[in-house]
Amino acid sequence: MTSFFDVLIGGVFHASVLFLVAAGLQLVFGVQRIVNLACGSFYALGAYFGISAVGWATAGGLPTWTFLPVLIVSGLVLGVVGLPIERLLRTVYKRDEAFQLLLTFALVLMFQDVLRFFWGANPKQLGNLSMSYGKVALGDVSLPTYNVLVMLASVAIAVSLGWFLQRTRHGRILRATAENREMAAALGADVRRIYASVFTLGTVLGTVGGALVVPTAAASLDMPVELVVEAFAVVVIGGLGSMRGALVGALVVGLTRAAAISFYAELEVLAIYLIVIVVLVARPAGLFGKPVE
Amino acid sequence: MKDAPGRVLLVGVAIVVVALAAFPKVASPYYTTLVLPAFGYAIALLGFNLLFGFTGLLSFGHALFVAIGAYSAAVLTGKLGVKSFEAIVLVAGIVAVIAALPVALLAVRYVRIFFGILTLAFGMLFHSFLFKFYNLTGGDTGMRVLRPTLFGTDFKELDKTTFLIGPYYYECLALLVVLAFAMWRIVHSPFGLHLAAIRENPRKAEYLGVRVHRFRLLAFLISAFYGAVGGAILGVNIGQADPELAYWTHSGELVFMTVLGGFASFFGPLLGAFTFIFLKSELMGATEYWRFFLGVTLAVIVIAFPRGLMGLASDAWTKAVRR
Amino acid sequence: MSDTALIETIGVKKAYGDFVALDGVSLAVAAGETVAIVGPNGAGKTTLVNVLTGLLKPTEGVVRFKGEDIAGIGPVLLAQRGMARAFQLVHIFPALTVAETIAVAVVSHERQSLRVVASLGKNRALWQRVRDVAAIFGLDGKLDSTARLLSQGEKKLLDIASAFALVPEVILLDEPTSGVSSGDKHAIMRTLVDAAQRAGVKAILLVEHDMDLVAEYSTRIVALQGGKVLADRAPDAFFADPEIVAAIVGKRVGRLAAGHTAGRAP
Repeated sequence: MTSFFDVLIGGVFHASVLFLVAAGLQLVFGVQRIVNLACGSFYALGAYFGISAVGWATAGGLPTWTFLPVLIVSGLVLGVVGLPIERLLRTVYKRDEAFQLLLTFALVLMFQDVLRFFWGANPKQLGNLSMSYGKVALGDVSLPTYNVLVMLASVAIAVSLGWFLQRTRHGRILRATAENREMAAALGADVRRIYASVFTLGTVLGTVGGALVVPTAAASLDMPVELVVEAFAVVVIGGLGSMRGALVGALVVGLTRAAAISFYAELEVLAIYLIVIVVLVARPAGLFGKPVE
Repeated sequence: MKDAPGRVLLVGVAIVVVALAAFPKVASPYYTTLVLPAFGYAIALLGFNLLFGFTGLLSFGHALFVAIGAYSAAVLTGKLGVKSFEAIVLVAGIVAVIAALPVALLAVRYVRIFFGILTLAFGMLFHSFLFKFYNLTGGDTGMRVLRPTLFGTDFKELDKTTFLIGPYYYECLALLVVLAFAMWRIVHSPFGLHLAAIRENPRKAEYLGVRVHRFRLLAFLISAFYGAVGGAILGVNIGQADPELAYWTHSGELVFMTVLGGFASFFGPLLGAFTFIFLKSELMGATEYWRFFLGVTLAVIVIAFPRGLMGLASDAWTKAVRR
Repeated sequence: MSDTALIETIGVKKAYGDFVALDGVSLAVAAGETVAIVGPNGAGKTTLVNVLTGLLKPTEGVVRFKGEDIAGIGPVLLAQRGMARAFQLVHIFPALTVAETIAVAVVSHERQSLRVVASLGKNRALWQRVRDVAAIFGLDGKLDSTARLLSQGEKKLLDIASAFALVPEVILLDEPTSGVSSGDKHAIMRTLVDAAQRAGVKAILLVEHDMDLVAEYSTRIVALQGGKVLADRAPDAFFADPEIVAAIVGKRVGRLAAGHTAGRAP
């Protein structure tokens, strides 16, 4: 039973982190209609920078247990990288989607070497830091506290995002712009600022996601391109542009991956993509997406 | 309609073909060996651009077919003892078309970004299959591609490089010319006109009796064939079929090359393939951070020169002609 | 319904949940007729047109073209069976030339689209047909112009010309003169009717708001209101009935103006 539970927790943990990146993707797509291939690069950036930040914090005398807040702060701060990148993307807003996609691909290429330049070609990790919070007992089983905290944090972020989008004025303006850009602009929304803030929010979600994952996994130069694959599976299954889709899709992908790894390792990514194809045949727009043709 | 190639165009193409034929005689073996992958990519891109530039569908999974081509070459030469290059190329193409059918049937129901994501997914599906099923595919080391025979002739006495920059080079050049000519005919046929209509305005095309879904499917199948032929050429050239050939970033490079050369032009992708191969090679020699500079190049093209090198050339020509 | 009906609907109903867009519409169009479909916005004209052109499947009822059921067959099959449709909002192929645009339709009509390696340029017969169609619409001077560079009026003509190039038996024109200045409206309608005759089109369905044009060019008027057929009669009979005219044209010709047909005597 423990093994099943480990798979479950592992899957949900992975889903929590995936959700953050996917939520960023969905926001940016929903409002700006841009699919950001560089989402994995932001994630990797958050991971690498998080490791460095923890290193500085420890060197600066902060106690080990502060690593979680340090990671979160470093992820948030790094989100500011989204601003100049959005400015760059602004040059192709009016163009065909293919060009927007290509520009984000150019960013992927550039980021690869930026990461390599600052952190080198070898993977980096934080050792077993995630265990330093110990374990928490839930009935018969015990789980690493860190993982539980991350899952809770992810849920908290999901809830606050939902609240922000549904209940605040700012959120409503965002949703209006997503529905109908011209109408929103005609009604006085400052589309430029909205785009800048949405993209930055999307970036922050990515960098925080990457930062949160490093206590449990190494940061490597493969991260940016590999994460895109899973993140896209999430948004395709969940439906492009849908937050609920990001949540459900992340759970599906996270759990499938965990199950595949423990039962038949070769199937890992294959299983995910088979589900993608099945979902698309049954519901072309994804589980929660709006049909487009 | 500008389909009958103008005299100027024919002369230009002839000059380029002659130059390519003469190249191994005048250039160093190093640069000549660079042209070989350029041949492979040029053919693959002819197919890719039928789908992208002419029909308006951006696939981020075209590398799937390139990989199929290379692996077909590996299986045929290594496991099945089929050494005829001509057979390899044909079989690779057919296998790709068969593989493309289910992908296309699903993918052409979508357009634009959804098509791109779906094709990316299929490409990665194949990659994970190649990567994980070690017993079948050799896993991350891939499979060897043995030297084929050209028109039945076994060039055993030649060492690898001499074979590649010699008879193999010329057969690939011939293949490129033949396939390019076929693609020219396709693009300038009634079928091609309907593809252009689909690109420009799919809804209106339907009302004019254009079978949009079916033709997108056909274009997809043709592009798969070309992709695999290119992949087979690459496989023989490298001597190895590698799962990374199917990775989505490789598909991204195919798009990069096409846009670099100019997707709105027939010859653009060909120019793009050659330019990219040389550019990448020079950059890799010059700096460890060549990916960064490739990225910058792509960004500059997308932002400032979206019609690529052919676009620049055509603008320069128009200016010159005006005087 | 009549055996000679080229296109007909019998008791067509189209409901979207509770909302009934069409409520038992029956009409028939025979060869030689030009039938105008009129009615205020929201009366169901667009829905009816979409049902007539095989885009929408009726919830109830039958829609037939040349005796065959065409419910929901879609635009491609419809074009192949001989019905063409031109839209209110101009649809063009921005980067194609006038000649190429018309050629798309000619290729469809002649079932040549699967000729994958045949030379398009050398097909003299095809380009001659293209020139002929272009000439009917006065576009023969602009054959090599790119569609996106044409004036709005020329784009409209091109849109309609390409529909005619399908050599349809029935053509459906959706507000063909909308966006055109009133001086040109009659000229365009005359060109259209003329072209239809020359092209061998057997019947025209016309959705129009301009009652002058309707009065002059249609052989029969079908008025819709609230999803139902309010009237289905020849123009004389139509305009002689003030209640019907009022319902269609609007309240400004109200009950107070009985007998007054707002100057639209044919």
